[in-house]
Amino acid sequence: MLKNIYVTPLNLLKSATSLQQQVRTTFVLKRKYDPPLHKTNEKPRRMRAKNFIYELVDDTLVKKRPNIEVVLKTFVEGVGDKGDVVSMKPHFVYNKLLLPGLAAYNTPENVAKYAKTEAEKSTVKHSSPYAQRTVNMLETIVLAVVMNKDEPWVLEPWHIKASLRKTGFYCREECITLPKERIEGPDLKKENKDFYCTVTINKLEQARLKCRLHHWSTDPSERLPYVLEHWKLQSEPLLDVCSPEKTP
Amino acid sequence: MAHATPQGVKLLNGWKRPGRFDKGLGAQLPEAYRKFWREWKLTTPAAVHYIPKEQQWERDEVTHAIKPVQNIPLPLIDTPESHRGIWGGEAVIKGFQKREQTKRRVPHFWVPNLRRSVVHSHVLDCYMSVVVTERTLEQIHECHGFDHYLLKNRACDLRSALALKLKREVLQALQNGVPALADEPERQQEVLKEYRRYLEPYTPEEIDWYGHTYLEAIRKLQKQLREAEKVVPHKLEFRGKLIEQLRQAGISEAGKLEKPDALAAESSVEHKDSDIEALTKLESSPSSSWLSKINPFGKKET
Repeated sequence: MLKNIYVTPLNLLKSATSLQQQVRTTFVLKRKYDPPLHKTNEKPRRMRAKNFIYELVDDTLVKKRPNIEVVLKTFVEGVGDKGDVVSMKPHFVYNKLLLPGLAAYNTPENVAKYAKTEAEKSTVKHSSPYAQRTVNMLETIVLAVVMNKDEPWVLEPWHIKASLRKTGFYCREECITLPKERIEGPDLKKENKDFYCTVTINKLEQARLKCRLHHWSTDPSERLPYVLEHWKLQSEPLLDVCSPEKTP
Repeated sequence: MAHATPQGVKLLNGWKRPGRFDKGLGAQLPEAYRKFWREWKLTTPAAVHYIPKEQQWERDEVTHAIKPVQNIPLPLIDTPESHRGIWGGEAVIKGFQKREQTKRRVPHFWVPNLRRSVVHSHVLDCYMSVVVTERTLEQIHECHGFDHYLLKNRACDLRSALALKLKREVLQALQNGVPALADEPERQQEVLKEYRRYLEPYTPEEIDWYGHTYLEAIRKLQKQLREAEKVVPHKLEFRGKLIEQLRQAGISEAGKLEKPDALAAESSVEHKDSDIEALTKLESSPSSSWLSKINPFGKKET
């Protein structure tokens, strides 16, 4: 008997669905030439080499993945407070929230389980998710407070405010708490000495700001020599000045 | 005709080559392991690397002829590395690429994009560093946790031997009441309440035989068979019997040692009649052996 010779015609009119990608990805493939039909309830026929030609249909790795919703178990800086349902990128959620145990998947049971109790709602500990971030930034800098070398002066909050604005922070004068002791000048013995202020954020969080006193003159010939990267050098605290207490 | 052949009635459905469960040690594997093997190897997994067609008929793109739809899965290659990670059902595909219409096809391997990450199991209460794919993480997110991902998916969808071993560990831990969280009874009860429903489809024997590869199952069976029939050497048995017999003989000898002393005491009192009395006593006693009849000390004194 004659064999059943399967011949697939060359389809030049087929639409091109191939994506020529060189990146190794989660890949979805499609056969360019389908194998011949087999009878019902029988094994598929033996395939030829042409049936193993595949075309890349979908590249799921370069797709943007949808956000994942989770319930926070505790306050997370930059994300939210306990009981909040947040929707964020999947890798951040998995590596920073789920694995350390700071969050749980968003299910009705978890939302009810980790919701804030009445006692927790009354005692507010965090004004905003991002306030702690600002506190961290303020506490890492050494603020250079530059005062006049020739005219007498007394340190006031607006001096700290001006110095903060030079470093990129904006705050009002009433947020700044100076030490109780009076700092007067000009006094070259106080040059390059440290003292601490307190900056209040949202009337709740407080940052301990490290300040360093410098003198400056409008006359170029009387100016002090400039020290390169002076904020990285060690220095001594200002005598008879202690840091202000944090107001409750 | 079928009854005349060695295979008998098995030929009615055509001749079948004996498989791994029909001969040798494989035939002695329990039904629990066969059930797992059917779930792992003989079930068609979910479509990962191709999109199955849902309709029953489709129209050809060029000729517009109507023909039936047959979904034939792409052959996947499970490399040894895939059994040391959790790839989420992905595998390597070997095939050809036709990059231009007028050029010949070239061979190509499509390999998943792997990465190393950490997974956390609530039931086992530990973190594990494994090689995963993006699809694995997505499935973990869909199932709301790594334990749920293991317990919800079937063995053919997990594909990886490591994932199946972890699944067996999780099932055994749930069966034993989550011993890893024994220090925290509240959390233990929570975890048990959350995951108890996954234990219903399995019997304890099926949990015991879950997740083993064929070679591991064979070795486990051999170990069980070796423990069942303990072969004791015959020399130990025979030596025990001999020692018992010697003990019995030793006990009777100890009882008979008292008689010569009594005889010696009597002979000191009556010198003349002692010989006659001793001889008559020895002969008349039925339990005495020939050794006790020979008494050189009694004769010498007379």
